Amino acid sequence: MASQDRLNTHLTAIKTVASHAANPTSLVRAENLSVSYGGNKVVHDVSFELGRGKSLALIGESGSGKSTIARAVLRLLPSGGHASGKVVFDGQDVLSLSERQFRPLRGRAIGFVPQDPGNSLNPVRTIGAQAMEAAALTDEPNASIRKELILETFAQVGLDNPQRVYDSYPHQLSGGMLQRVLIGLAVLPRPALLVADEPTSALDVTIQKRILDLLTRLQHDLDISLLLITHDLAIAAERADQLVVLKDGSVQEAGKTASVFSSPTSAYARKLHADVPALNPNRYAKLRDPGFRLLDGKTAKAPKIEVNSITKTFEVDGKVLTAVDDVSFAVPAGTTHALVGESGSGKTTTIRLLLGLDEPDTGSISVAGDDLAGRSQKDLRAVWRHLQLVYQNPFTSLDPTWTVERLVREPLDRFKIGTAAERTQQVREALTNVGLADHLLSRKPGALSGGQRQRVAIARSLVLKPDVIVLDEPTSALDVSVQADIVEVLLSLQAKLGLTYVFVSHDLALVRQLAHTVSVMQRGRIVEHGTVGDIFDNPSHAYTATLLESIPSGLSGDTSEAAHRRVSRAERKEAFA
Amino acid sequence: MTFVSNSSLPVSRWQEWRAALRMPTIVALSFAVIAIVIAWSLAPQLFTTYSPVVGVPADKLLGPSLSHWFGTDHLGRDLYTRVVYGTASSVSSALVAVVIGVLFGGLIGLLAGFLGGWVDILLARLVDVLLSIPKFLLAVIIVTAIGFETINAAIATGISAVAFFARVTRSEVIKTRQATFVEASFLSGGSRWYILSRHVVPNASRSVLPLAVLQFGESILVIASLAFLGYGDPPPSSDWGLLISIGKDYLKWPWLVYAPAFVTIVTVLSVNRISRWLRKTD
Amino acid sequence: MSNAYLTYAAKRLGQAVVVILLAYVFTFVVVSILPGDPITSVLRNPQNGFSEQEIGEIIAAQGLDQPVLVQLWHSLSGFLTGDLGVSMRSNRPVSTLIAEVIPSTLILASSGLAVALFLAFAVAYGTQVLPKRYGQGLLRAFPSLFQSTPNFVIGLFLIHLFGFQLRLFRVIEPDSFWATLFAAITIGIPFSAQIAEVLIANLDHEAKQEYASVARSRGIGQRRLFTRHLLKPASLPVVTVIALTVGELLGNSLITETVFGRTGLGSLVQRSVSTQDLPVLQAIVSLGAVVFVLVNLIADLLYPLLDPRVKMVVGKKYRSTAAGEPSLDPTKAVNP
Repeated sequence: MASQDRLNTHLTAIKTVASHAANPTSLVRAENLSVSYGGNKVVHDVSFELGRGKSLALIGESGSGKSTIARAVLRLLPSGGHASGKVVFDGQDVLSLSERQFRPLRGRAIGFVPQDPGNSLNPVRTIGAQAMEAAALTDEPNASIRKELILETFAQVGLDNPQRVYDSYPHQLSGGMLQRVLIGLAVLPRPALLVADEPTSALDVTIQKRILDLLTRLQHDLDISLLLITHDLAIAAERADQLVVLKDGSVQEAGKTASVFSSPTSAYARKLHADVPALNPNRYAKLRDPGFRLLDGKTAKAPKIEVNSITKTFEVDGKVLTAVDDVSFAVPAGTTHALVGESGSGKTTTIRLLLGLDEPDTGSISVAGDDLAGRSQKDLRAVWRHLQLVYQNPFTSLDPTWTVERLVREPLDRFKIGTAAERTQQVREALTNVGLADHLLSRKPGALSGGQRQRVAIARSLVLKPDVIVLDEPTSALDVSVQADIVEVLLSLQAKLGLTYVFVSHDLALVRQLAHTVSVMQRGRIVEHGTVGDIFDNPSHAYTATLLESIPSGLSGDTSEAAHRRVSRAERKEAFA
Repeated sequence: MTFVSNSSLPVSRWQEWRAALRMPTIVALSFAVIAIVIAWSLAPQLFTTYSPVVGVPADKLLGPSLSHWFGTDHLGRDLYTRVVYGTASSVSSALVAVVIGVLFGGLIGLLAGFLGGWVDILLARLVDVLLSIPKFLLAVIIVTAIGFETINAAIATGISAVAFFARVTRSEVIKTRQATFVEASFLSGGSRWYILSRHVVPNASRSVLPLAVLQFGESILVIASLAFLGYGDPPPSSDWGLLISIGKDYLKWPWLVYAPAFVTIVTVLSVNRISRWLRKTD
Repeated sequence: MSNAYLTYAAKRLGQAVVVILLAYVFTFVVVSILPGDPITSVLRNPQNGFSEQEIGEIIAAQGLDQPVLVQLWHSLSGFLTGDLGVSMRSNRPVSTLIAEVIPSTLILASSGLAVALFLAFAVAYGTQVLPKRYGQGLLRAFPSLFQSTPNFVIGLFLIHLFGFQLRLFRVIEPDSFWATLFAAITIGIPFSAQIAEVLIANLDHEAKQEYASVARSRGIGQRRLFTRHLLKPASLPVVTVIALTVGELLGNSLITETVFGRTGLGSLVQRSVSTQDLPVLQAIVSLGAVVFVLVNLIADLLYPLLDPRVKMVVGKKYRSTAAGEPSLDPTKAVNP
């Protein structure tokens, strides 16, 4: 397209500030960078070096200091934060510059792509008004050319209708579109460095991949260096030339991607590698095998859960929305059935119907042979005695004013099970089962970590000794290493107690590790179902295939140039189709 | 109920308590001010040797000095003594106002938020109506209707705060009612009233408490205003607002206004500071 | 003007009318049914020197001998047709009494509001833009201090300092420019403290949002960040706060007018309270309710036009746009 050429010549005309290179190969060099809040040091003597046009990933779990480092490089630390050491950008130590001296570098020389696109644009101003701020950094005096530049950039990042985007308010666009806008605004002034802070963690998997592809393509097309912050080892390995693994603010391991990824030397990097589901599909094979044996002998027993063509519609602003459309599945006792889909696929509504929290318009649900239809609240209690739920977010599912003991004990008290002494005993048992020590009994949720809270939530659902536990994305709010612990707890409980799980997730790699059977949902329908082997090895539906492709694999041996060529073809197709 | 953890880990309990009591200096200072004010209202005679009612005419309109900290008024009465003796009715009436506002407002909000449906609609209209009448005017007409007395001024102030607390409680209850942990309790077999009393009320009251403290400070101001306009107890009682009102006729001797004003401001400031601290530590 | 907006507006208007009527009834109930008895306390007070015959005439004229429900009906239908009744004390129409004093109070209240807005925004601007060491702490203490100060103390302080010490104005001429200005400051300061508190909290909240960091990553400076990004989202809730507290201007005018010796609605209330002139009180309180309801109606109608995120949903006040399937976890159901 002709406008594309004009844009490119225009962009070349805007010479980057980084042109007068003090060091021709290194663009960013951090030397003993430390960051503290008050007296609390959160980053300890971190050093790394990023070359021109290269990419480097900072990897770590929450609290590792990775985002703090990104903000220190941009000098956007929240008030109270203090950085020491050196961050040399293009020959200048940015930490020693005054705010006035540094500000011209922001946007012009260093671009920033934030984590959560939904909160990263001013909600009460149009996209265009905010884009103009980025366009102003090009020093182009003519306002109409600036606008042209914005529209062309929007087209370049794969936004279909640039003018419409320009006139929209942020809440009118999807998360994926907003992230494209933000990437466009970051690259528009042609910075030498792009800092991307978990650019895809708030997005659905399929969109995640497209956004990463876009970043990789722009990085190569525009010759930008990329500092990628991520918690996902597989993503980092796919997208970066070099990796820096962080834990508690210190570097655990650093080096070329290929070597760190394929043969990690530090214990932490090895554990991180082992905990990423995508890289270890068979990690829990032993714990999962009993369920497969039950599947093979399925002729013998009736399924624990049977869902028969349920449909549920909602009315949203006068429009009828079919949240669940003719969904059926059955779960044999002692096995795990996974419902997989992206947001809006209807998986959450499905489990609400399964629990009797909503009633389906049509279809039937039976749990252990009992039909759920038309039950009063009192009758539903009898069902819940054997059917429990673990929520996605342990930060909201536990009453903050209650102690752990009271929380776990609540179901026993409500269902009046056993004597007081027996209840106390059962609470302890449940806590032991999920691996929590007794001394936490008197704590309130506020004094627990995310992983501990989720264990408490699991203990609460376990204490009634139910047959079925519905798990609604039980690990999505947690770090990978914590996720691995929780998954292990769940699977060993299944092996020990013969529990039946309905596992809801958007994470296919995780599903592959722990499920026996899978239903893939899209727009309220089940598009494909089968055993975990069938789905992952021989997907028959195109959507399943897309989901599978979106799992970051951390492909080692794939040089970034080769990946780039492959990626940019796919990306162009997607963006300019 | 067992308290195993209590006995097995006394240290951690103790530490939790200490952590909970840790506060900035300014908050500690505020608590000290409130402690003095409470002591004044409980036992004013311990803090002064002068009489709040009978003065020494020869000593009238003296400036602040060591023997008369806040000076003396036009009848030669020690102003500090007047302030100390006025504390009880100025402060305890504010307490009455808060209790009325929080109790009735909280109840209305709780019922509206938890029952929903037509109860909510009905109560919401009632609250809208109460809210539509400017608070101070409402207090004035109520105190007019029931008589000029400090306790009536307190009742009027309390009624004028009912709408506010009803609104806040209702929204807190609705927020809590929709919380995931409430649904979790429901799935654990909890009944509606059980959930209301064990989950909703404790959580909602956590946010209402700092506002109640804030309202205490505001009630002191409103009651002082009513006393200033002459709608409280008449002289020789010495409500802070009344003292300022008397002092305004003697502006040549400004301590008659500034001393009781200073005490009022410091008290309310301390109360507000504590409220803010409660909100933050939540 | 979309259809949804018009439906919303019509609904809100209907609600406003209902609230005004109910507020009138409520005030009537308070002034006529509560224990106080104006007939014995005022009319028969020997100081007022009414003869029995005059008392009888007043009772008949006010309809005080009729059942309460009939009185309410007469009073309410009068209110609806713009007839506010006759003062018990002076035998003049209440509407005339109010019309006489209202301009003075309007001047006071509107200049008080202007002072309040100016102060609040100036203080809030300072807290965001001034460097920490230049008195930011002092500015942040402003709302707290002035919310703890009775406004008659502010008034007396201003009179003492500028009237007595500096002799900038003469206290016996309450309608002079300076006296009016200081009265406006008296009424405005507590109000500005309330607005500033909300505004500062909102600004701090907005400044912590990711979009502020992202805007700064585009090289935006502190001042531009304030004017272009933070000010609008932070001031939108202030519209609601002003609407909710505007009635207090009327309440505070009562005190301020007393302190400065001005005539106005406030002094009329004062006089009517001391003489138990119920028709006047009833009229003024209802007027307060009408003002409050109208201002809030305007604010509610304006809000959807000011904030692009707000969408009208008939039946509810307004709601953030968060479509999609319902969720088990409310935290993910709501678009922040």
